[in-house]
Amino acid sequence: MTRQAGRWLAAALMGAVAGLSACAPDGAGPVEEKDAAALAVPGRTAQLALACSGCHGPSGGAIVSLEGYSKAELSTALTLYKSDEDGTTVMNRLMRGYSAEDIEAISTYLADEGPR
Amino acid sequence: MTGISLDRRTVLTGLGAAAAMTGLSPAALGQTKANLVVIGGGFGGATAAKFLKLFLPSSSVTLIEPNETYYACPFSNLVIGGGREMSAQAFTLDRLRGYGVDIVRARAEAVDGAARTVTLSDGSTLSWDRLVMSPGIDMRWGALEGYDEAATEAMPHAWKAGTQTTLLRHQLEAMEDGGLVVMSAPAAPFRCPPGPYERASLIANYLKTYKPNSKLLLLDAKDSFSKQPLFQQAWAERYPDHLEWRGASDFGRVVRVDPQAMTVFTEFDEIQADVANIIPPQKAGAIADAAGVADQTGWCPIDGLAFESTLVPGIHVLGDATIAAPMPKSAFSANLQAKVCAAQIARLMAGREPQASVLANTCYSYIADDAAVSITGVYTNDGGALTNVEGAGGLSPMDGGPAVREAEAAQAAAWFRTITAEAFG
Repeated sequence: MTRQAGRWLAAALMGAVAGLSACAPDGAGPVEEKDAAALAVPGRTAQLALACSGCHGPSGGAIVSLEGYSKAELSTALTLYKSDEDGTTVMNRLMRGYSAEDIEAISTYLADEGPR
Repeated sequence: MTGISLDRRTVLTGLGAAAAMTGLSPAALGQTKANLVVIGGGFGGATAAKFLKLFLPSSSVTLIEPNETYYACPFSNLVIGGGREMSAQAFTLDRLRGYGVDIVRARAEAVDGAARTVTLSDGSTLSWDRLVMSPGIDMRWGALEGYDEAATEAMPHAWKAGTQTTLLRHQLEAMEDGGLVVMSAPAAPFRCPPGPYERASLIANYLKTYKPNSKLLLLDAKDSFSKQPLFQQAWAERYPDHLEWRGASDFGRVVRVDPQAMTVFTEFDEIQADVANIIPPQKAGAIADAAGVADQTGWCPIDGLAFESTLVPGIHVLGDATIAAPMPKSAFSANLQAKVCAAQIARLMAGREPQASVLANTCYSYIADDAAVSITGVYTNDGGALTNVEGAGGLSPMDGGPAVREAEAAQAAAWFRTITAEAFG
């Protein structure tokens, strides 16, 4: 359990790396200093995503794990929750509070774009 | 090397890589060498200590907590109702050492906000650059006439999980069938707004199943409460003969108790109880007052961005002790506030301003051992004030039916496993 929790933290924090590689795939592309600082120091996006890990742990079960999903998959699911009533979970009620931009940011942060 | 250290190293490598890729020195985050002290090893404090170390790996993070075992309040009502063992509520801070957190087993007795020090019960003094306090609650002894610390032996509050929880459970088990259980719920604000009503549901469930001639009378200092339509629907469906709620307008407010005689007084009548569960008025944990971060209400005003005290700069306050409404006093809130606070402290240490984001809360409440309902909220902290995001949040659907209630019970159990693993694992 400890190991899994640690892995989840790693996944959450390393989401920043995955998001960055989407902008600069070779890892050496020009990135503006401003953006760099925003990723290095936890900013709005990291803080938005921190809300997920209280429920979504690595073990899955009745609340699904978020590990291994692409940005597109996450963003599609979160956007659907925002508009579709789903009486069996809290997600519709929660996602109604997040803008499309926030959903994009969270999805990018949490996505695992690496090989499956 | 343990799994924890290995995973932590992965995290640090990840952050280093992020910095390197952007042309920043990995030192930008990693070499901030601050003294960070956290008081309180509950959901807020344990989470804060872990995430401070993750965001600021070169800083020292010291967590001060006198108790070896922490008993979680969420799910403790299931113990009272007989559907869960107390051992399932027990957590320790030992695993946080694997993340590099120093644990000091002592009580914080004094905080000097000007000198930036904490004095501990073992006589030692720690200095800090930033102090995070997550002191939970204390009872306002004497605010309810007759209810002092000694009274809790006869009339447990069970509003801090532990021996009080098992005492109330044992009293319910020992009660003869045909007995009257009396609960008293306080006026807001108090820890876990839906908690008294979840507890009433689960006690009623126990009575209905095992002591069918008994009854629970829930006396309330309020006329409205959290998840009220869902609870009242569940009570009407499941416990019509075993649970009666009396709001303030029906003289529900308890004004005095006599623990020797086991009597509970409202402004209207005197009630003889066989078991009495008195949830008294509360305030922030005592150290908050000693540190000067609690105001005349007994709770701690904070800015909603970094959860920094508005009374003493450099001290951040989390969880039940804070005035964070509309964010409720819940384990979910404390855990998320801790993560956001740790991120904001990392920003402050890097010379940045705290940044606004969106916070959320979810509280599940069981209405029976295998059925639960939920309330959610979404909040912004733009400009430093926590406010509801309009159009978001709310209650489980009233017409959800048994399938939805069962699904939410399973989700509640999954939530408990996850949040306790994040805080203590």
